[in-house]
Amino acid sequence: MVKDLTKAIFKENSIFIMGLGLCPLLGVSTKVINALGMGAGVLFVLVCSNIIISLLKDFIPSKIRIPAYIVTIASFVAIVEMVMQAYTPGLFRTLGVFVPLIVVNCVIFARVESFANKNTVMPSIMDAIGTSIGFALGLVVIAFIREVFGAGTITLFPIGNFNGVIEIPGLINAPIRIFGLAAGALFVVGILQAFINWYIAKKK
Amino acid sequence: MRKSILIGLKLAVVCMGASLLLGFVNVITLPAIEENRRIALQNALAAVNRVGTPGEMVIVEGSRVVRNFYPVFLDDGTISSYILTVVGDGYAGDLIMLANYELNGNLIAAVMMEHTETPGIGDAPERAVYYEKFIGRGADVPIPTRRSQLTVAQSDSIAGATITFIGVANALAYGSNFVKNKGE
Repeated sequence: MVKDLTKAIFKENSIFIMGLGLCPLLGVSTKVINALGMGAGVLFVLVCSNIIISLLKDFIPSKIRIPAYIVTIASFVAIVEMVMQAYTPGLFRTLGVFVPLIVVNCVIFARVESFANKNTVMPSIMDAIGTSIGFALGLVVIAFIREVFGAGTITLFPIGNFNGVIEIPGLINAPIRIFGLAAGALFVVGILQAFINWYIAKKK
Repeated sequence: MRKSILIGLKLAVVCMGASLLLGFVNVITLPAIEENRRIALQNALAAVNRVGTPGEMVIVEGSRVVRNFYPVFLDDGTISSYILTVVGDGYAGDLIMLANYELNGNLIAAVMMEHTETPGIGDAPERAVYYEKFIGRGADVPIPTRRSQLTVAQSDSIAGATITFIGVANALAYGSNFVKNKGE
């Protein structure tokens, strides 16, 4: 089971290795806090969906498995949406349309279809946690690079007197704007994927 | 036939379970969501109001754009302006704004309440600076509703989100005419 967890985080990383979930990646990786919020949302939805699907895999006939998955995933996304709207309205406004779009996030659908549908509950939970951590890790790394270079800031959660924004001297007044745009996101993803591919090839 | 019905029933069971779960979460979160909306409305009213005190909300029937309005009263009881809830057609859905107009239809201030535009592209109307091109217009000078009516700098500020701009501008222009036609 630990193997399922680590494999999903590194060896089968959804962003860097499998190239899944790139749409929300482009949209929300402008700020570190958005990446953390989206990562948490995906973690909740994927863990819950994997649990339900692994429990119901013998009950759901193959012919209706796709609509059953969609209903399950959409329900948990709606729960995330309602909870965010109620208790973290600022984050909900920032993530905007990308919260409902978790329903069609390929990462979630891929794991439900290829793993939870064929395995028992515990391995499915470990796979979901690993995949989500891998996805969140990728999101946060890319958001960190984009925000630091594209805006000259690092935005985290405000605590007490700390407003949650760390300003990077030098970059705050002269950021490299392209990193904040979708093209910048693709550029960062491409560079990181190239680096990881080079590292894997070197290791072999 | 019997097999198809069984499959349909199984899907119905899954849907029913999902509905029950969503209903339960809705009951728990709805009070907090309503409270957040009330606070957001108060903050928006405070943000667009310049002088006077907003009165009770008046619902507008039969208008797709103006949902309701708040007359703003001065201390002597006269109406100084109207704060309207206007709805524009955005790229990804409704653009719900609160806009304050002088009695002659000039826009005083506006804020975005809710939208589903693309983050990073269509969310520019969340910022107060976005409305500078509309403020002070509506009476003698019309509110710009086309890109060609903007300066180069203003035109640059809406690049990539023209449909959002048209939605915002048309709704604000409609609101201006609505106030002018009240005849007060």
